Formats: sequence, structure tokens, C-alpha cells
Amino acid sequence: MILTVTPNPALDKFYWLSELPLVEEGIVIRAEKSLTSAGGKGVNVSMFLAAHGVETVAMGFLAGHTGQIILRDLLSRGVSANFVWIDGENRTNVALIVRGREYHPIHIHEEGPLIPKEAVEIFLRKYEVMLRRASFVVLAGILAPGLSPDFYRELARRAREKGVKVVVHAGGEALLRTFGERPFLVKPDVRDAPKLGDLSVRTKEEILVAGKQAIAQGVELCLVSHHLTGDILISKDGVWEFEARVPLSTFRNLVGADDALVGGILVGLTRGMDLIESVRYGMAAAVASAKVDEKLCLDRKKIAQEMDQIEVRHQRLP
Amino acid sequence: MKVRDFIRRDLSAVERGTPVIQAIKLLGNSGLSSLPVVDEEGKVVGIISERDLIRVLVPEYVDMLSSASFLPSMDRLAKKLREIENHPVERYMNKGVIVVHPDDTDLYAADLMIRKGLKQLPVVDEDGHLVGLVCRIDLLSRL
Repeated sequence: MILTVTPNPALDKFYWLSELPLVEEGIVIRAEKSLTSAGGKGVNVSMFLAAHGVETVAMGFLAGHTGQIILRDLLSRGVSANFVWIDGENRTNVALIVRGREYHPIHIHEEGPLIPKEAVEIFLRKYEVMLRRASFVVLAGILAPGLSPDFYRELARRAREKGVKVVVHAGGEALLRTFGERPFLVKPDVRDAPKLGDLSVRTKEEILVAGKQAIAQGVELCLVSHHLTGDILISKDGVWEFEARVPLSTFRNLVGADDALVGGILVGLTRGMDLIESVRYGMAAAVASAKVDEKLCLDRKKIAQEMDQIEVRHQRLP
Repeated sequence: MKVRDFIRRDLSAVERGTPVIQAIKLLGNSGLSSLPVVDEEGKVVGIISERDLIRVLVPEYVDMLSSASFLPSMDRLAKKLREIENHPVERYMNKGVIVVHPDDTDLYAADLMIRKGLKQLPVVDEDGHLVGLVCRIDLLSRL
């Protein structure tokens, strides 16, 4: 079973617009199309896994009417849900996708509800129970208000003690603090700032330096997005560059592609693929997801078709 | 059809030591009519339902007559709730839990619900871990 933790889940709303006019007066913008879905990085990973028949339990904090919609959506997709309910209201995250510029969506993200200490205590007890049945735990997304930046480190520590492999799919200080707990894989979220700690990760050379440092601090595998169609995997055994040979013009919705990548890697690993093939499968899932309006492409045939487009180059760690 | 085909993978549950007030809040948020009570390993050891809690709150004669018109006022219920809100659910849970397994048939689950007058049943794996629940409405909507 793969456990995902999304401390700050959201209801994702997507609006496709024919144009986004820049005017000074108030205007009404009519969306061509809209979609609504349960969201948050771990939630997305769980939805991807469930669609592939991988047993998964999603954990985190739910609140209010939005929380009930998130829960219903998850259950309808075959995801096991074990959330702690708190007062308030979960986030609604809006993405505006303008035709012709699909690869540059505009995001409006809410902050999320405050997590009280008592809720964290209840969560930790539930987490301990769930860890007993887990092979991987995915710690994913931004922390909710009220949570300590050590939250992921504590979860990673508890998982490591039980022999459960940890994947950290997050950014900022919360990610950095997990390095000492020797996570199996980190996938830094560099949307807000292309940095890993103090180190910039804009160029390939910078990614290698930052990745090497993460490995030196205890991380087993570090996967960093180089650009929209390229990722770099760094381990103590070397560097692998993954490149998807697809034109950006084929992309329709990039939101969730990163989560399909992580989900795809885990699907590969649980099916017995080797690491590199698993990352290729993840890349194929990310590309397939970017090519559909829905946040995640759950069509295994479409994902398999993209596998041919993924090139891998290996080199020793410089 | 097997239970696994219409299981609701909701792992909402409480622990034996969970205060009654928290169980009531969780019942409200989850929309469930009862909650499994689990131990440290996630095994189902009891069940606490709306009905169990109402039984604690209302005087015996109201329960016996099945009518709230015999209640002097809601204040008495509120007062009683304040008295028990921090009690552990273990005190009021039903220990004779009836469960089904993912490989049980829909007919078996339906029969249990009808005979025992239950709205939902916890689903457990071979080790007794909670893996979800089945609700009457889920069964009906599959017919």
C-alpha cells in the first residue's frame, strides 16, 4: 500500500479561456470550459495510483464543505481516505488556462485552514497505524498554516523507523529538513522559486551541484525538473537526463503533470520495473497528462504510447 | 457482486479513548451514521453510532416510547451531553461488531443489514484491519 500525505488539500478549479484581456475596467470573462477535481499533490498521486490498481490511502486534513467535496471525489475514484477533520474550509485553487498559452497557466491559490495542535496529534496516531501497512509514503505539497516546518521531517523519521520508503514531493524548508532522514526520493517543487535551499536550480550545471549536495546530505535519489519537457535524476551512482521529445504546442493542461510523474514512478516500482524504466514511465505519464484537459491522464494506453518519446542519457556524477 | 465492488474506502474511525464530542463532530463531517472504533493496529474493536449516543442522552422512557414529545426540553439533553462529552467512546461503543470482508457477496452484506437493522457495515481485511465500509445506499444504487 502506498500512503500519501497532503497536509493542505484543495479543490482544483480549471477555467479555459479563449483570451485573457488586460483592461482597466471591470469585465466578465466567459470560460470556454471548466473542470473541478479534488487536488493537492498527494491527493493527485493517490488518484493516479488508484486508477492504476495500486492500493493507496490518502491522508491529511479536511475542513468544511470543500473538504466534503474533496472526500467524495477521492472515494469515487477508489482512493482510500483517512483524513482528520478540522474547523474552517479547505482551499480552492484556481487555474486559468488561456488557449495558445496552455504551458503558462495562471494560478490563484488560497492559503488553507489553520491546523490546530490537537488535530496534528490525532493525525500522527492515524499515521502510525497506516505506516504498518505501507511500502512507500509520499509527503506532498505545501504545508498548511499552523504546521511546523519540521512536520515532514517528523513523518519521514517515523516512516524510516518502520522501514517504509519516503518520497518527498514538496518544496522549501519543509523539504530540506527531511534530507537528514534519508528519503528514498525527493522531487523538489520549484514553481515558486527555482532553488533547492540556497542553490539555484535553473541550469543543468546548477541542478547537478544542488543534487549532489542533497545526495551528500542523505537523499538517495533527487529528481529535478530542468524545463517543461526534461527532468534530471541524480543518485550516488550517476546522473540520468530524461527528455520528452514532444512539442509544447501539444500541451493542454500542465497542472498535475508533476504528480503524474511521481505517481508513474511509484506504479513502475510497485510493478517491478527497474528505477530508470519507472522514471521513464513517470515521464510518459506526465507528458500524457499535460496533453489532456483533465489534470491527470489515467489512460494506460495513452501513457504507454508516450514511452517511445522519452529519451534517457546517463553520465557519471561529475 | 462482491463487497469489494461497492466498498466505500472511507477509513473514518475513532480510537477507544476518543472523546464523545469528537466522535459527534466526525459523524457530522463524514456524513456517516456510525464510526468504527479501532485499536493501535487499525483493527476494528467496536462501533459507535448516532443511535448509541442518542440512547445515552435521552431518558429511558423516551427511548422506550420512541417519541421526543415526552422530553421536557432540549436543555436536558444539552446538559447531559456536556456531562459526557469528554468521556471516551469506549464507554458507549458496541463491542459486538458485525463486519464483512471484501470477498463477501452483496447478498450476504444485504442480508446482514436487513436482519440486524444496520445502515452500514465496516469492511475488514483478513487481519481485521479496517479497509472501508458498505452503506445501504451504495447497495441500493448498484441494483
